[in-house]
Amino acid sequence: MKKLHILFLSILPALVILFCFLGFLAAPNDPEEVVITQSFLAPCAEYPLGTDQYGRCVLSRILYGGYTTLGIVLMGSAIIMTVGILLGLLLGQGKAGRNVLFESILNAVTAIPPIAYLIIFISTWGNSVSTMVVALTVSLILRMIKLVKTKTELEYNKAYVLCAVASGASRFRILLVHILPNLIRDAFRFSCLSAGEMILSISGFSFIGLSLGEGVIDWGSMVSEGRTSFGLAPGLVLYPMLFIFLCVLSFNLLGRQLESGGRIDA
Amino acid sequence: MKKLIHSFTARKILELLLTLLIVTFLSFLLVKLSPVDAAEAYARRTFMLYTPEQLDELREEMGLNQPLLVQYGTWVGNALHLDFGTSLVNGRSVLGEVSRAMGVTLSIVLIAAVIEAVGILLVGSLCYWCRRKWAHLLLVFVCIVGVSIPPFFLASSFLDVFAVRFGWISVASSTGLMRYLPAAICLAVGGIALYSQLLSKNIEREMNEDYAVYARCRGLSDMRILWTHALPHALAGLAPSFLQMVGISLAGSAIVEKIFSLPGLGYSIVDSVLYRDTPMIHATILFLAFFLVICNAVSDILQRIFQRGHAEGAVQ
Repeated sequence: MKKLHILFLSILPALVILFCFLGFLAAPNDPEEVVITQSFLAPCAEYPLGTDQYGRCVLSRILYGGYTTLGIVLMGSAIIMTVGILLGLLLGQGKAGRNVLFESILNAVTAIPPIAYLIIFISTWGNSVSTMVVALTVSLILRMIKLVKTKTELEYNKAYVLCAVASGASRFRILLVHILPNLIRDAFRFSCLSAGEMILSISGFSFIGLSLGEGVIDWGSMVSEGRTSFGLAPGLVLYPMLFIFLCVLSFNLLGRQLESGGRIDA
Repeated sequence: MKKLIHSFTARKILELLLTLLIVTFLSFLLVKLSPVDAAEAYARRTFMLYTPEQLDELREEMGLNQPLLVQYGTWVGNALHLDFGTSLVNGRSVLGEVSRAMGVTLSIVLIAAVIEAVGILLVGSLCYWCRRKWAHLLLVFVCIVGVSIPPFFLASSFLDVFAVRFGWISVASSTGLMRYLPAAICLAVGGIALYSQLLSKNIEREMNEDYAVYARCRGLSDMRILWTHALPHALAGLAPSFLQMVGISLAGSAIVEKIFSLPGLGYSIVDSVLYRDTPMIHATILFLAFFLVICNAVSDILQRIFQRGHAEGAVQ
């Protein structure tokens, strides 16, 4: 029973995310290929989810869109995890992190929610894949640094760190070998929950017309294109929406799983 | 104690001002680094044909030739007098435009907050009430789904179903509450789903506290303990982060507003981006940050009050 639970709540979501990210490798057709004569086809063997108004394969477009969206999310998360954790550890342990002015600045920049940073970046640079990566990374890395810094400060006062210091462990050994394992789970949880929000923001902004750029396929713009012919072919809206929903749900479930005590490696 | 409060207030004010400065400076820096030149965009829109000399003149006039810090300093100086210049698109005063947009956004967010508060109370109590039944699992699942569903999908399907198919609401002509209600509902769903879970957890913890056990020994019914003792405590614990979320939805409402064609912040942001209307961009960001920071500050103060209340209760 316990195993089944873990299977459903952590392995399945991970598989869904992996499939949405790398599924484009198995795409049945070229997502850009326009065949006007074959518009609005019903699902068939050649086009598993039918075609859109220009006769492009919906499934292939969804898979490529997933590569774009999740590529941004995973790349952003990877940068946030590595850089954010390292900086957070160093700041949490060093003297500079306890400076009143520095703390005020950190509080000030994390007081603004990620979506507001996104709005600032998008309104000044316009939307594109690189803007999204930069904006998401900058906005979330600050929060990650604050999270890790606070955790490190807490852990640093515990007895096991004193023991480690007494037995002659170096500063980096204490940080990386002793403290890091105690906060890696919180960091993962934060990444999972923010990844869900990242997907919603990315597709949300491209849905309202700030597209990621010419020729970039992503779920949000697919949905907004499909809306014009919703009555004729509801699948054009529903399929990409389903994939957005599944990905966000997967990230949320993973985050919950990490919170509720199931170990990642259990 | 007094000194503590004093330094706390001083620090909060410092943080508040720092936030505003950092955010507005960020928007200046990004405009400077932007690949599209505001003067060029303006010239292309108004003159169609223009010479490089005209462009230089325009830059001079808009102050784009000066160093970034000088530009920023001038802007801050003017902003202190509430002078944000005029919009590059329609020549109207930026202050008027932004405060109108802010009014729309604030009404949506406030209505959404009321809906959220009621929804969280109902769903959260319900969640606690059936915590040992299979319905609980269903509710938890519905809540996770509610968090995962994109707000823009809710908004667009809301429009497709209620406005297009049934014709119950009209996007263009309704006024007052009805105009903002649909957007507010779509905005509220995510918050209800997220916070009702937290509330039910809080209630469960409170119901296991000593005072709840004591009340049970006095023979009070569980329902009574829940409503008069546990719920107020649980809500007080949730209030600070709820306020923060209200602040976040100020920024988050941009997408929903755009879908419902409400002339709020989201609308003005998308328009300013399309036209590179820099005075509008800076002012919008400043106002957004201002309201966010206010929400955060109130939330911090509330948290402090509740903590103190808790500590004093423990001592007594």
